[in-house]
Amino acid sequence: MTNIFEIKRLLSLAVLLTLFAACDHDTDPDGPSLFDRFAPLELLDTLESSTVQVDFSAGESMSFTAQFNKNIEWVLTITGQNSGAVKTFSAFDRFVEPSNATWTGGTTDLPLFRTEPCTVVLTAPDEDPDFGDTLTVEILGTKEYDGVLVTDFENDPGANIQLGDFEFELANSGRRNDTIAAQGEYFYRLAGTDNASGGPTDNFFVGLARIFAPIAGDTYFQVPTTVPENLYLNLFVSGRPTPYTRIVLGLIIDSNDSGVFEEGPDAVRSLEFDPTYSGWRLQSFTAADFGASQAELEKVVGIEAVLISLNNLQPDPREEVGFEMDFLIFTQFGPLEL
Amino acid sequence: MTKYLLALAVLFTAALEGQAQTEGALSSEEAETFLKGVNFNGLGRVYLRQNDVEGDFLENDSLTPRRITDGEFLLDLKINATPNKKTEVQSILRLRNEFGGFFGAGQSIEVRELWARGLIANRIEYRVGDMDIEMSPFTFYMPTEEGVINQPSAFELQRDVIYYEQFYTGDNTRRMQGANLNFGLKFTQVLKDADFRGFIARVRGTDFLTIPTRWTTGGEIKLSSRKLVDQTGTRADLGFNIVHTFDDLQSGEANAGIRNTVYSLEYNIMGYETEKMQYSLFGEMGTSDLKSIDEDDNTVYSSDDVFLTVNGGALFLEKDLYLHAGFADVGPEFFSIGAQSKRVDFDAAQSLYNRIGPDQEVRDITLFDLSRDVAVYTYQLSDQLMTYDPRFSNTFPYGPATPNRRGLNYGADYEISNVQASLNGALMSEIRGQGTEELKDFFLVQAKVDVDVNKYLEWENNVKVTLGYQFENTNRGGIEVEQVDLNSNLFEAGVELELFEDFEILLGAKLLEAEGSDYVPRIDAFNIVRDFPERNQFNDSETLLAGGLKYTFKEGIYLTLQYQSFDATGRTGSVRDYTLNQIFVLYTMKF
Repeated sequence: MTNIFEIKRLLSLAVLLTLFAACDHDTDPDGPSLFDRFAPLELLDTLESSTVQVDFSAGESMSFTAQFNKNIEWVLTITGQNSGAVKTFSAFDRFVEPSNATWTGGTTDLPLFRTEPCTVVLTAPDEDPDFGDTLTVEILGTKEYDGVLVTDFENDPGANIQLGDFEFELANSGRRNDTIAAQGEYFYRLAGTDNASGGPTDNFFVGLARIFAPIAGDTYFQVPTTVPENLYLNLFVSGRPTPYTRIVLGLIIDSNDSGVFEEGPDAVRSLEFDPTYSGWRLQSFTAADFGASQAELEKVVGIEAVLISLNNLQPDPREEVGFEMDFLIFTQFGPLEL
Repeated sequence: MTKYLLALAVLFTAALEGQAQTEGALSSEEAETFLKGVNFNGLGRVYLRQNDVEGDFLENDSLTPRRITDGEFLLDLKINATPNKKTEVQSILRLRNEFGGFFGAGQSIEVRELWARGLIANRIEYRVGDMDIEMSPFTFYMPTEEGVINQPSAFELQRDVIYYEQFYTGDNTRRMQGANLNFGLKFTQVLKDADFRGFIARVRGTDFLTIPTRWTTGGEIKLSSRKLVDQTGTRADLGFNIVHTFDDLQSGEANAGIRNTVYSLEYNIMGYETEKMQYSLFGEMGTSDLKSIDEDDNTVYSSDDVFLTVNGGALFLEKDLYLHAGFADVGPEFFSIGAQSKRVDFDAAQSLYNRIGPDQEVRDITLFDLSRDVAVYTYQLSDQLMTYDPRFSNTFPYGPATPNRRGLNYGADYEISNVQASLNGALMSEIRGQGTEELKDFFLVQAKVDVDVNKYLEWENNVKVTLGYQFENTNRGGIEVEQVDLNSNLFEAGVELELFEDFEILLGAKLLEAEGSDYVPRIDAFNIVRDFPERNQFNDSETLLAGGLKYTFKEGIYLTLQYQSFDATGRTGSVRDYTLNQIFVLYTMKF
């Protein structure tokens, strides 16, 4: 009889252990939260900024806070009232807080911010298109970007920029401020219409601009690195929506070590890119993209931008081609971080 | 192609057997013996249907045909041969012609079934080709379809067509194509006998690109004991099951595949037995493992879980009453391809009025479709949990192996000469919430009664009444967006009235009402709940009425003419209010 009871005990223990083992499951809920998915949106804490005025040039930053009743995909949009510059933050969260909404002066959509008042709007486009919470802040000083600035065209370059005009085809070109610059007030424009007939030649080239190193204060550009793969030339370019414009961008190398640009002896390492779009965009290229060697990067005496019209695509009569450029800056290890 | 290869294999097998037996040309005596072993059976069917649709939505709808007539004529010719005492081969050749088909259009000739079976060394049974596999409810098992509790005879005839076309048997077998081996041993002490079985079947073929060939293999050992305690009659049956489904990444160019392995232990312990009653303890427990692997056999995704069922049953022999109750716990990530693949594919397109209305909206699968449409049924294995309709089944949409369920079940079966009745139910709950920590509770009751009225009236001719009823409630608390409350009632009634010998009037009714709301998850690969697209609001009513005549020429040969009317109402904003009428003639001849 004792054995039977022992067996019963063992069996009971085995059954209990099995039951406990079977009942042990991972109970974290499946799928997205129903509350987040379907509960009506409420703003529990309105949008606030850590400060009303901020000087990014002094290394200051500005953070924002707000609280919803549930996790949502929110978007915080800061718009410069003068420049039209836009910085956006977004997250799937209940909270707008410093960890996901701290502004150090950068921009998402060019142009760059200026010293100007800005409108800050918090929205939930997927949840409630009509929802928005707004406040106003002011920039007292703009962000300083890391890198070696070539030029931002804010000062008259004098002889440091050479504007070349193929067969007198350029029009309204040079340093200008007749529209919003990507940074500051001034930018540089190359624009014109290639001659289809009437001109001496039908040459595709509309014009060029050569920016010489002394514009940055030295004989050669003091690039932050001479490793071609690590050196980036960044510039903001505003193009044309028509499909006829191309830009050939080049690094001018002082091949004969004369210390100045000499057409003929000096080599140009260049690349072509397509600016057929509207508005300002950041364009970044490595020195390797240009085909420049490490030794050549120690002797960059200028930067050349050539405006080309794709004549074989052009209608008759031909349309204007052109672009604006601003804020040329060298960076290392990566493109300019906006 | 596979069918034809199998046909060649079977013929080759038969030829070899014949050759081994005769070594040369058959003598006339042997040929006569051989021919005696060849049987021709089969099934012929003529099925003609005319359907029409009515509803307000038709006013602005120029696309939906108001009336559709379809049908088919088919002959399944079964050739069964036993070339010797150890070998049997069978094939079913199908000749089919669609109603209205002519000059070759809509005609088809196909091999519907092909298999060979026999004995190896007088001990091991084998079968190759088509086969029906069933193991335990958690390893390899086809759960029953939704929308049926106690099918009235008026609807039974159409269901027979569906069952025949989808190879459903009265049990829970699933049609597969492969090879099966089984053998048994008998013992004189402790154990009474032991049965062993193993199978391998191809689930799908490769497309030679991204879809690899999928196989499923399984094995079971069933042990039955002799009486362990003479005084109580205690004895035990144990079953060990394993099913492994896998993709062969060497086939095609696929670089990802699945592995699904399910182990289980079945037990049935007859604890106490007297002349008046029997008490038993039975159930099953086991684990599942689901993996996604890459071409280097690295595991990309993995989940596993366990399940357990414990049931007690009491059979009162004198009262023809069987009571049972039990506990089940099936983990949220328990996945068994062989046991959770449903019969009804709620994502399938119906063959009749799949889209209706001015905007050609997809029409929900209804009682009408479940009762008649072969196209919404499948016997294929699904590598993820299939879509379900909570109006029909929310407690066990994937049968007994429905994952994420814990709770109690109960039941009673009662039978006397004139009445057969059963009551089954469950009180279940989720183990893991869906979109919330709150858990859904499920309450299910199913009852069915068959009454042989003619026995009460002492009539010779058959008069039978069948009733079925299911009530299901799904409830979840919490804050407003988490709350769920869905009630559904499914009622069935049927009458068979034999006016003259073999001439019956069949009447049937099915009524579904669903009211409330629930969230139905969108389930992606590996059963991951990706989203809850919306809260489904139900205020649905479906009524299916049938009446007709049936004349049985002899067993297996009958002709029926029926009229059915189906009404759907509810859910404003979608095409839910309509009527479908159907007249059909079905002549079936099994020979």
